[in-house]
Amino acid sequence: MLKLDRRLLQNVDWSLLAAAGFIILLSLLSLWSLTPGRGGSALAWRQLSWVGVGLLALLVVVSVDYRNLVRAAPAFYVLGVGLLLVVSALGQTVSGARRWIHAGPITFQPSELFKLIFILTLTWALTSRREQPLSRGTLIGTFALVGVPFFLIVRQPDLGTAVVLIPVLAAVLIGVGVKLRVLGALTLAGLAALPLAWLVLKPYQRDRLLVYVDPFRDPLGTAYNVIQAKIAIGSGQLLGKGVSGATQSRLAFLPERHTDFIFAVFAEMWGFIGALVLIGAYLLLVLRGFEIAASTREPRGRILALGVTAVFAAQTLINLGMVTGLLPVVGIPLPLMSYGGSSMVVSLMALGLLLSIRMRQFN
Amino acid sequence: MDLAPLPGARREAWSRRVLALAAITAVGFVGLLGQLWYLQVLEGGRLQELSEKNRIRIRPVVAPRGILFDRNGLALVDNRPAFTLSLIPREMEDRDTVLARLSVLLKIPLAELEGSLDRVPVDPMRVVRVRRGLSLEEVTKVEERKLELPGVLVEVEPQRVYPTSTFAAHLLGFVREVSDEQMKQGRYRRGDMIGQSGLERVLDEYLRGRDGGERIEVDALGRPVQVMKREEPYPGAQVVTTVDRRIQEAAERAMAGRAGAVIVMDPRNGDVLAMTSSPAFPLDRFTGNLDREEWLRVVRDPMTPLMNRALQSQYAPGSLFKVIVTAAGLQEGSLTPMDRTYCNGEYRLGAWTFKDWRAGGHGHVDLRSALVQSCNIFFYQAGLKVGPEAIARYARSFGLGAPSGIDLGSEKPGLVPFVEWRRHRSGRGWQSGDTINMSIGQGPLLVTPLQVARMMAAVANGGILWKPRLVQRVELADGSLAYSASSKMTGRVDLSPVVWSFLRHALSGAVNEGGTGAAARIPGVEIAGKTGTAQSVAKSDSAKGQDHAWFASFAPAEDPEYVVVVLVERGGRGGQVAAPIARQIYQAIFLEKVAMVGLGEGS
Repeated sequence: MLKLDRRLLQNVDWSLLAAAGFIILLSLLSLWSLTPGRGGSALAWRQLSWVGVGLLALLVVVSVDYRNLVRAAPAFYVLGVGLLLVVSALGQTVSGARRWIHAGPITFQPSELFKLIFILTLTWALTSRREQPLSRGTLIGTFALVGVPFFLIVRQPDLGTAVVLIPVLAAVLIGVGVKLRVLGALTLAGLAALPLAWLVLKPYQRDRLLVYVDPFRDPLGTAYNVIQAKIAIGSGQLLGKGVSGATQSRLAFLPERHTDFIFAVFAEMWGFIGALVLIGAYLLLVLRGFEIAASTREPRGRILALGVTAVFAAQTLINLGMVTGLLPVVGIPLPLMSYGGSSMVVSLMALGLLLSIRMRQFN
Repeated sequence: MDLAPLPGARREAWSRRVLALAAITAVGFVGLLGQLWYLQVLEGGRLQELSEKNRIRIRPVVAPRGILFDRNGLALVDNRPAFTLSLIPREMEDRDTVLARLSVLLKIPLAELEGSLDRVPVDPMRVVRVRRGLSLEEVTKVEERKLELPGVLVEVEPQRVYPTSTFAAHLLGFVREVSDEQMKQGRYRRGDMIGQSGLERVLDEYLRGRDGGERIEVDALGRPVQVMKREEPYPGAQVVTTVDRRIQEAAERAMAGRAGAVIVMDPRNGDVLAMTSSPAFPLDRFTGNLDREEWLRVVRDPMTPLMNRALQSQYAPGSLFKVIVTAAGLQEGSLTPMDRTYCNGEYRLGAWTFKDWRAGGHGHVDLRSALVQSCNIFFYQAGLKVGPEAIARYARSFGLGAPSGIDLGSEKPGLVPFVEWRRHRSGRGWQSGDTINMSIGQGPLLVTPLQVARMMAAVANGGILWKPRLVQRVELADGSLAYSASSKMTGRVDLSPVVWSFLRHALSGAVNEGGTGAAARIPGVEIAGKTGTAQSVAKSDSAKGQDHAWFASFAPAEDPEYVVVVLVERGGRGGQVAAPIARQIYQAIFLEKVAMVGLGEGS
């Protein structure tokens, strides 16, 4: 299965891989420097083993023709929705939300994996019928298809994943040429549904949104994360404090510092210059993704590439926006950077999809 | 079913749209960089400063407990800063290690530390108090190892401080952290210090005040940098008691080493000037951090130091009761001052022989000399003349057999038997022997020292029974009056003025004319008093035969200002044991007068 065509190997997007590899390296470094010697290094080692698992998954994804994956999308879809149902039934509850499934020693977060399934499903739904432009029926069918798992994810509640999926959907729809008028109508419909969403939200999620509106509403409660992250990032100044000087992160002021808020740790240690380099790597990765999407002629490949790139872009922007206080806190990991197995493996699989599409562009 | 590649025009449109999306994304990234520039470069200096002193804590600011003053404005109890060991769960990265280190360092059982953390709801910002009243030595130990003990903190909080360990222990009472049991009442918060006995308990609502709190930022070493928000505590109310600290101290000094009680009361208004019960318990070791061993020792002590003997212990009044018999007899007309008898030390009634306390008797006695000499034989006959019903009625009118109404709680009512009671209780009727026992204050009669003081005050002031007053007023921190109590009369004994006069003169004679109370005599002050020796109910062979010694008195006899009642448990004879103690107290009260008389005699 892992046997690859020589011709395919010639078309490996090395700059994409390099950008991703660089980010992963920085992630391991940050995790290790959080508390070197004790818990920190254990975190870094565990993350490294997830990188290993992720790389294997990447190879598997690369070796399979992505078109077959799109064809299998209905099966993935059923599997994904099934997992989401399982997690809502018997998943483990962590800080008020049920997101994890225990499978032996591994805990696993189905909504992470669902991002990929979501894109595959979207691609499948938009390309299974040859029609140009897209008919209203196809659009409605697509919405119905992705609406069910979306609802399940919001219910979990995994607001972060749900929030990522919306711009991804929008990006793909724009890509396939849905008229702006239709998109505008959809946006209005979405806005109209917001009060409804408010009712579905858990109190802690409502707090987070309110805090976004007024960060000093409760400086010791919900806004604490935001304020602490801002202080961590800002105190890094231009050149950073280095590993040992990063008191904010190392003294445990920063909650979730190895997961969602890891960028604050990095920015505190390496300053604006370091953050510039890291963000440059993300920008490179995302732009390569868009380039692959733009240059692919095969419809499934380019929609898929656009979707995957949109996931990367949305997740990176939303995470960084929330850590720097531009957006409300919604609990999204920074792809390839945050500690967490599901996120790392899924991110590498997504990367594999991009590579795979690139390699098969010239077939 | 592969799809064919799309024609060129559409491809270009696709590329354009993807490019547009890429541009939107790039704009997002640029925006991010802008925000980072703002945070790290423009605001960097300020945020850097913030990060250096960045630690936020919520800490309660304990309201200083109200102070209790004596009638002259001297403090009976005060507050001083004390060290409290606290934990901040959020800052304890490795909770188990820190707790283990702390446990070894201060020799606190690990379970106790864990317990105090487990008892509070999880609120990582809040400070949890685990031990109060740390010694300076312990504080030094913790401060020295501060870096190894993240999340451990020593705070300064006001704590009760007492003039001496046992000063007015029963009166004041001790203050301690609210117990699990008391938490269930829902009136307190975990960690509140509340009064557990005495005035501290009765006046707790006033004394406690209202705690404040503050949000503080501390630096990396835990030093407070800035108070972000502070809610001032409202200090507890000041209480002005009726106690006279000087007299209280004198009473305790005089009782040192004895078991019993002393009450000093102002007969003109019922003010309690001193109230002591001994043995006392060490207030300072119960306050703040409980010394468990000491607590167990006190609770298990057969001498029951926690009991306030002045109002919770009941004794037979002994010869004190002769005052009641005399009052009843004279007022009812069954006795006259001219009644005489010959006392040979024995009185026969049927098959029974009742003895006088003095072998050989007192010889010829009249009512006055019988009272002065405390002749039992005379009072056996007098009691039979007056009759048990009248005696019981007068005893009740003097406030015996009912609580005095003092605002200190758990007061015993005493016991005055009367005819029906005796018949009902034991089946056999009231007999003359019972009357004879009663007339010298023995038998089932029971009184508390406080009741005796009230009774003596009535003799001194001509019949007014006061509700004993302990608290004059309570003043809130803003100076307003929260409570004030004026003297309250709760009963009146109606005797003709000649009877009062007779009683006062006879009691003065008991002290000043070589009577049983002679040991209380002080030159320069005329003291009037009555001794009593109560047969104790023998609980064991070793205690058998040791009588309780009473001395109930007032002075100056002509214009009484002080009532002093002394009870010494198993002390022996009242005249020998209790009267000298009263004398010591009077000496302290009339210090100046006594000194002037001494000078006059010397020159």
